[in-house]
Amino acid sequence: MTEILDYIWLGVLAVFQGPQLFSLLGFAIPAAPVMVLAGLLVGIAVGATPGLAGPMAMAIALPILISIFGFTPDALLPVFGFLIGIMKGATVGGAVPAILFNMPGTPDALMTTLDGYPMAQRGQPKRALRIAQLSSVTGDTFSDIVLFVCAPFLAVMVEAYLDLPEKTALLILSISFIAAVMGGSVGKGLLSVGLGLIAAFVGTGQALVPRLTGGVEGLSNGFSLVGAILGVLILGEIFKSIEDMMQRDRAQPATQRRDTSAVQDGLQPGDMRRIAPHVARSAVIGTIIGALPGVGSTLAATLSYTVGRKRHEKRRKDSDPGFGEGAPEGIASTEASNSAVSGANLIPVLSLGIPGNAAAVFLILAADSIGGFNPGPAVFKFTAPAINPELVTAFGIFTLMVIGNLLNWTIGGRFMRSMGVLARVPGQILLPAVLLLTLTAIYVQETSLFALWVTFGFGILGYLFRRSEVPVLPFVIAFILARPLEQTAREAFAATGGDPWFLFSSPTSVIFTVAAIASVAFLSRK
Amino acid sequence: MENLFKPLAMAAAMTIAPTLSLADDWAPPGPITMMIGFSAGGGADTQARLIAQGLEEKYGWKVLPQQLTGNSGLSLAAELAKAPADGSVIGMVVSETLTYSALAVGDPGLQLENFTSLATTAKFELGLVAMAGGAFDSWDKVATAGTEGTPIRFGIASDRQGDVAYLFGQAVGIDWNIVPVKGGAGVMNGLRGGDLDLGWVAGAQSKPVQQGEMVNIASGIQTALTDSPDAPLITDLGSPFVIDGYFMFIAPGDLAPQARTAIGAAISDVINDPATEANALITKSFGGPDVITGDALDTRMQQLLDDAAHLLEQANAS
Repeated sequence: MTEILDYIWLGVLAVFQGPQLFSLLGFAIPAAPVMVLAGLLVGIAVGATPGLAGPMAMAIALPILISIFGFTPDALLPVFGFLIGIMKGATVGGAVPAILFNMPGTPDALMTTLDGYPMAQRGQPKRALRIAQLSSVTGDTFSDIVLFVCAPFLAVMVEAYLDLPEKTALLILSISFIAAVMGGSVGKGLLSVGLGLIAAFVGTGQALVPRLTGGVEGLSNGFSLVGAILGVLILGEIFKSIEDMMQRDRAQPATQRRDTSAVQDGLQPGDMRRIAPHVARSAVIGTIIGALPGVGSTLAATLSYTVGRKRHEKRRKDSDPGFGEGAPEGIASTEASNSAVSGANLIPVLSLGIPGNAAAVFLILAADSIGGFNPGPAVFKFTAPAINPELVTAFGIFTLMVIGNLLNWTIGGRFMRSMGVLARVPGQILLPAVLLLTLTAIYVQETSLFALWVTFGFGILGYLFRRSEVPVLPFVIAFILARPLEQTAREAFAATGGDPWFLFSSPTSVIFTVAAIASVAFLSRK
Repeated sequence: MENLFKPLAMAAAMTIAPTLSLADDWAPPGPITMMIGFSAGGGADTQARLIAQGLEEKYGWKVLPQQLTGNSGLSLAAELAKAPADGSVIGMVVSETLTYSALAVGDPGLQLENFTSLATTAKFELGLVAMAGGAFDSWDKVATAGTEGTPIRFGIASDRQGDVAYLFGQAVGIDWNIVPVKGGAGVMNGLRGGDLDLGWVAGAQSKPVQQGEMVNIASGIQTALTDSPDAPLITDLGSPFVIDGYFMFIAPGDLAPQARTAIGAAISDVINDPATEANALITKSFGGPDVITGDALDTRMQQLLDDAAHLLEQANAS
């Protein structure tokens, strides 16, 4: 027990005694907490801008951060701090344009428009924003606590009970599950996963000659991770948005504000009591859904909203607004739940090394680029007296998340309410700026023009995916998991003495394998 | 060992002293790109980066470390072969890359003669490693279990280690389940996680062995291991081969002799200077510096190449 406390303390120290950013009046200002704040503000701004999302900002920021902080393990916490800040800020910021202009800033804020916008129309935009912020931060904090408790526990369990064949089966299960639950159809999910695996197998492998390169020398080390992921996720999105803009005039009807000066704005007495049960329920729903890799925050928000509406209808007095008419309970249900997803989403990443959403993808990418931290079960080894530096980093990350939540509670709300103006940035300015930033960021990290061509190639692929409604994220997650999957499968095969049926060598691996098949088989029948 | 090592390091430093004047005559044409053939964050990677840092501090050379991993160092070799031979690009690999791996692949462009060997930094302290207190923490236990037919999972980090393990197994009558993993760190992770029973580790096991977490049950090189002087040699146990080798720096072929001498001397100077972090790391985790440069290095590499050819011949024959 004292070991765990020691490690928590070391993690806190790592954050506050890490590399200093600058010194103020003789006090060294540690980089990591400052980066959390900077990330949080950027995240809120990005979330408040329709058309931009947290992962996009994380993608652009990552190469720039790495070029600032370098590749030493000292860089890990400041870089993670910024990324975590963006992640937390964007979930809060997404509510701003949803409430003020009926435009969701991030996809998971869609349900927030249903009650937030009517409330703002009634002359209470500040009240709506305040409720959104409180619910969002509470949901986030709750799921972070679950993460802190569950991730180490789950990791230790995995390491203690899973052998190589079971680990292989678990990876197969995760990939199949992600293919099955993301996007419109299982078939398209599987297609996306399959292409991701093929792309990742180029130039890798254990033979001394690189495979599948078609003789192209630039590919002998495979597609660069940054180029492929940013290409599919960001360039693809930009290409699609440009096409959308060309096809339709995006003139928005001017929103009319009714004269509402008589209505009192701001948090009303009794609001907290009204939303508390909805926040609590939604936080739990969001956390459970978030812990499953690949199931997005949109589902969590929809589910919580639906459950919340049923409960609300039973108890509501006639004078209270119903869901969809500007009910504070509606905002609370959505925001608490979609924010709770973000913390819980890190459970599979930190404990198993399996990313469940785009934000987690970029945390893995950061760890991979900097080195010295390999998310997965090996992190949570409580060694003594020797210190396990990866475990210290893990507790450092937890500390950063706590700092992020505290900042979100306090200054996040104020900053958020000043961000309404960003919803008015036109796409003609936004998209080229994002494109330029992305390409610059990739060039900064890879310093080769070939990497830019790779990025463009994957951008076109991402565009085609979006045109044919094939989900993009399974591609990216499969691309990341392909190497661990191949490696563990090879190891399992060799360790069982070349048994081709190693996936069926123990009850646990049989269960995982059957579950993988079942997830694809049953979820395709909707 | 410590007492023996210091005069040796001094002696090495003294033999380098005259060549330092030569180093003064040569300066890199610009920043030096240092390609690193090891995955980021591992022991060998840290070693390379600390040497880069030492070169900057002691010589004022700008050194840009760059990861170039894959295919047992051959990806790096292929890239290095295309770089200008003016001292502006160097790479850190293991001697195995240009001997065993290059021979096994057979690509004429990647053979030893197409590269300039600059300097070794440390020799492999390669041990056959297992968890302390486990079912395989001595050779007797391994031999008993092996002859009884208990499956033993044997972690290897390169094809050469696999070949030696296989031939060793044949010689002692044990059919290992040979598991290829990523680097010495991969072997140690496998041991800790209970996914492997034994494995070769080329130096990174030093810390866990000193702390009593793991044991070297045998030495995989010609001599006893610094950390475990009592562990038997695998050649005494019946293995026909050893897994000796070095961490080393290489440059493109036909590097000007002046540049070769200067860079080799500079690396040697950094590693042997007890004030540098590179020296501290190599002393702590790699059994101490073992620097060979110039003609002596060419001779040693030729020996290793001949050994590798012999090993490949034996492995392919069986």
